[in-house]
Amino acid sequence: MNPVDPITTEIIRNAFISIASDMNATLIRSAFTPVIYEGKDCSVALIDENGEVLGQSLGLPLFLGNLEICVKIMAERYGWDYFQEGDVFYMNDSYMTGTHLNDSTIIMPIFWRGQRIGFAASRAHWLDVGAKDPGTPVDSHEIYQEGTRWGPTRLYDAGKPRQDVIELLRLNSRFGDATIGDLNAQIAAGNTGEQRLQALFERFGPETIRAARDEIYKQTEAREREEITALPDGEYSAEGTIDDDGLGNGPIPVKLKVTIAGDAMTVDLAGSADQAAGPVNCGLTQTVAAARVAYKLLICSEESPNGGSFQALDVQAPVRSIFHAQEPAPCGWYFTPLGLLIDLIVKALSEVLPGKAAGAHYGDSMVITIAGQDPRHNDDFYLMIEPTTGGWGAFDGGDGANSLINNVNGSFKDLPIEVFESKYPLRILSYGIRQDSGGAGKYRGGNGTYREYLVESDSSLWLWFERSDTPAWGLFGGGSGAAPKVLIQRPGQETMERLKANDIKIPRGSVIRSMTGGGGGYGDPEERDPRQVREDLLDGFISPEHASTVYGVSPEAVD
Amino acid sequence: MTKYHVSADIGGTFTDIVIEPSDGPVFVNKVPTTRENPALGVINGITDAVPNLADIEYFVHGTTVGLNAFLERRGERVLLIATAGAGDSYVIARGNRNALYDLRYSKPDQLVRRRDVHEVRGRLSWDGSELEALNEADFQPIIDKVRSEKINAVAVCFLHSYAYPVHELRAREILRAALPDVSVSLSHDVAREWREYERASSAIMNAYVAPVVERYLLSLQEQLRTRGMQAGVHIMQSSGGVTTADTARQKPVFTLLSGPVGGTIAGASLAKRVNRPNLLCVDMGGTSFDLSLVVDGEASTTLETELEGLPLLMSIVDIRTIGTGGGSVAWLDNAAVRVGPRSAGSVPGPACYGNGGTEPTVTDANLYLGRLGAKSLLSGDMSLDANAAAAAIEELARQAGMQAIPFAEGILAISNAAMADAMRTITVSEGVDPRDFTLVAFGGAGPMAAVFLAEELDIGEVLIPRFPGTFSAWGMLQTDLRHDLTLSFFRAAVAVTPDELAGLFAELEAEGTELVVAQGVTRDRVSFLRSADMRYSGQEYTINIALPEALDIEALSTSFHDTHKQRHGHSSPGAPIEFVNLRLAAIGAINKYDEHPHTVTGDGSDAVIGQRDAVFRGGRLNAPVLRRDRLPPGYQLSGPAIIEEQSATTVIPDSWHLQVDEECNLILTRGEQS
Repeated sequence: MNPVDPITTEIIRNAFISIASDMNATLIRSAFTPVIYEGKDCSVALIDENGEVLGQSLGLPLFLGNLEICVKIMAERYGWDYFQEGDVFYMNDSYMTGTHLNDSTIIMPIFWRGQRIGFAASRAHWLDVGAKDPGTPVDSHEIYQEGTRWGPTRLYDAGKPRQDVIELLRLNSRFGDATIGDLNAQIAAGNTGEQRLQALFERFGPETIRAARDEIYKQTEAREREEITALPDGEYSAEGTIDDDGLGNGPIPVKLKVTIAGDAMTVDLAGSADQAAGPVNCGLTQTVAAARVAYKLLICSEESPNGGSFQALDVQAPVRSIFHAQEPAPCGWYFTPLGLLIDLIVKALSEVLPGKAAGAHYGDSMVITIAGQDPRHNDDFYLMIEPTTGGWGAFDGGDGANSLINNVNGSFKDLPIEVFESKYPLRILSYGIRQDSGGAGKYRGGNGTYREYLVESDSSLWLWFERSDTPAWGLFGGGSGAAPKVLIQRPGQETMERLKANDIKIPRGSVIRSMTGGGGGYGDPEERDPRQVREDLLDGFISPEHASTVYGVSPEAVD
Repeated sequence: MTKYHVSADIGGTFTDIVIEPSDGPVFVNKVPTTRENPALGVINGITDAVPNLADIEYFVHGTTVGLNAFLERRGERVLLIATAGAGDSYVIARGNRNALYDLRYSKPDQLVRRRDVHEVRGRLSWDGSELEALNEADFQPIIDKVRSEKINAVAVCFLHSYAYPVHELRAREILRAALPDVSVSLSHDVAREWREYERASSAIMNAYVAPVVERYLLSLQEQLRTRGMQAGVHIMQSSGGVTTADTARQKPVFTLLSGPVGGTIAGASLAKRVNRPNLLCVDMGGTSFDLSLVVDGEASTTLETELEGLPLLMSIVDIRTIGTGGGSVAWLDNAAVRVGPRSAGSVPGPACYGNGGTEPTVTDANLYLGRLGAKSLLSGDMSLDANAAAAAIEELARQAGMQAIPFAEGILAISNAAMADAMRTITVSEGVDPRDFTLVAFGGAGPMAAVFLAEELDIGEVLIPRFPGTFSAWGMLQTDLRHDLTLSFFRAAVAVTPDELAGLFAELEAEGTELVVAQGVTRDRVSFLRSADMRYSGQEYTINIALPEALDIEALSTSFHDTHKQRHGHSSPGAPIEFVNLRLAAIGAINKYDEHPHTVTGDGSDAVIGQRDAVFRGGRLNAPVLRRDRLPPGYQLSGPAIIEEQSATTVIPDSWHLQVDEECNLILTRGEQS
């Protein structure tokens, strides 16, 4: 029998979600670095005493359903009695947390009247953790080049800060003060979660809360299983490649098989590449999280995740593959294969979920890094790192979005030209929507983006552009988006075309033109409404030539 | 001879009127809004109390005309002229994705389509040097298009114009000469701040609503004049100050949120009158719940907001809205009970409206529990169908397997918890503690929920102002003329001298004084609020710091560190600080009447007009029903009690205590009578 009425259950359910969102607000409010408060490269979760999620705020999607795995890994290793009131644990090891060493996971057990009632956990991207190059190296071949590895380590021992250990963190970063600032923001978020969960226990008592929690999990699991049951049983496969591992090895295959059997779904990554020499590997924890993101895009998308979520999902990845990396595989750019993995799961299930699926998006963060000395500021060192937007996939009923940030980058905003030019000795010559780059279809894939940089002082260039080998595919007859392309024009030299670059010298006067890919189309282009084609022509999203060759619409017919 | 100050808050359904006579207590009225010609509703609402409009000395109003034109997308077609190479910066709209689990995400619908974005050559550098002269020949094809396609509004946004407007100013000359009848909005003129997308968006919004607002204001001015009103028409701005209609027509975007901000401004005024500096203001109506803060006696404002995802750079009272109201519908999601976000609206409305609604709403639950009386809305002008409410609640309770009374209380508990969560989030993100605040509740449904919200947040004091149903309109009479100016000023704090700041502010003050004096106040009534947007070097976001009369960079830095600590939980004393913008609000004091106390004579013994069974925490209690307008200052009682007035019902459960203050506000405190 259920001792809790549905009203109390609903109030407690909302409270869990609200606690998580207040933890998130605290983290963002207190963070030092823009990658957290602007890029939202962070995530928080309120976790129960058994390591299941009570509430999670929708931060960076890629961290979905990942923090509770870290709690469980700790409990497996040390036992549940290891946690004391007032402890704060830090961990970043890629093979445990799944992501790169920059991502700091903070776990704080929560106690009420002497009993452990849960955990407040958060993850945030720290600017620098002492890798061989600033930020995240593009050419590491061992994890030891990417920063310092930390297993679960007490930073606070029963409420007492361990200053010697915290000092180690500070010393192992190029931006030590910001690191400690972001650490404190994560602890502040945990404190918010602790106070509010304790208040909730004070108000309702443990029996009511736990009964409500069990009911919430049960309802969520039942809803998800119901949606999966409605899908036809079967095996659904998809595969693609990432271009290379940053050291020039590639292409690197990603293969998956999704099995629907009754009310359960399995994602099996057998056949995907062995772990790579370069930094495109990730730990199993993060692979599970990415699979959960794809699952969440398709199953019960509206619902906030909790401990009942993902019970119907099993993820298998072969040991020593890029998705289940082992020492000493480097993991700096772990998200590159995961962006593809998410797109591929959607593709595999598109035949059974045609109304929910979409063509692939442009695929990766497309990061350009330029560094050098800034003559406007006493020749100080400057470092410009930015991801670039691109085209998203079309879907049944709508065109894909033009120039939108990729699926693993949260709600990241581009840097306005005015801010950019005031900050760096670089000028943006042009910035815009890349015509004709979206995949054709009854619904058109979104166009990619171009951005042209004029270098105003001698500098160096790093590039991480991806997905030229498997550009964004279309669905149900829709065409693929264009692949990315980067042109490097140095004064007096021939133009170079590169997608990856490591410390290329770019003297004053060089021009870098980056172009990101478009999204995949949806449905046969012949079925596209000619009026839509003409609208696209008027807006310049497609050229007259594209209109006539791809859609058979003559530009003269406009007006 | 009695003179009057009059305000009108013209909402979607009702027009609220507040009239302050020079020699008597304030008078309020609520009349239906006449949507096709809002002036009619205003005149109807005024003439009851002021038969001769010539006796009106000052008139101010808030309107949703511009906002509705935007929300319903009935504004003007706008063409955008941008710097060559950067026009798509507007179309890309910064490329961010706000719904993270949505494969079908699309960006907010913009007001200008890409086909109407045109570029001209001419480039200034970040430091103002001219890299390329403005290419005047590039304007010709654009001018031809504006003529041939009969476009009436043009916005111009050039890179770096926030600091160096020379090209935009020249563009206006060129366009004016060729297109004298087309309205031109320059981005630096609407929002003098960096970030070209947000600035373009602000200028476009201005151009988009300008003709609609202009027609409306001209018509209102004309009709009021025809009826004999000689006082000028003033309008509330989103910043919380007022402006003349003539000025508002130039920059209508500043009045876009002129309706809702009145409540917060009323809160700020109340804060001073009742000597409580920190107020959490909640305005609950039929479909929405607006939330704002008064901190240290000032309305909390923000310098940037978004409307349907489109950014606006301007000083604006910070109001957050969630979709919970009296009309929020309770429903079952399998075994779970949910309330909202869907609302029954006004058609069919809650089941008790008797318009065919069969789903129970928050209002139905209040009626079912006896907290709301079947005849209490609008003094009984509209009676409620208690049977329909009961049928709706009992049916859903049966489906949920619950008793009807706890179920009805549960509906309210869920909606109160959702509102309380929103209130907690706003205070958490501002770094303040709700327990340090007095909760001020107004709007038709606010006073009914107020005490329960306070309990959720552990707030010990609730204030229900006089005339809670017209509180926003009252606020409009409590504020002054205001004009906001911004100056870009990127400088390290250590390199700035007080003399330099004083010189720059003197220029801003001269400009601000002229703008305010032009609206009819004398120079001796002009004052200034000076502030600076500052940040740690290298940060992106800024904090607005008020500047004292005596400029002292050291004191300013200290104030910045302290504010940073309060807002963000940490500070770095000693770290380098920089200026980003200097801001000036020029205030023109409006003559206000000394308010005559709203006197209620007697001892309140005639206030009780009935008894009603009402349910609190599962128990049915017999509660007295009192008339608010018979409660004199000093009156006290302990709950349970229900207090009714024309536009609202205040519910006081047991364990809460009421004290009526000198201005007839209801002060509710937790605990038994002390």
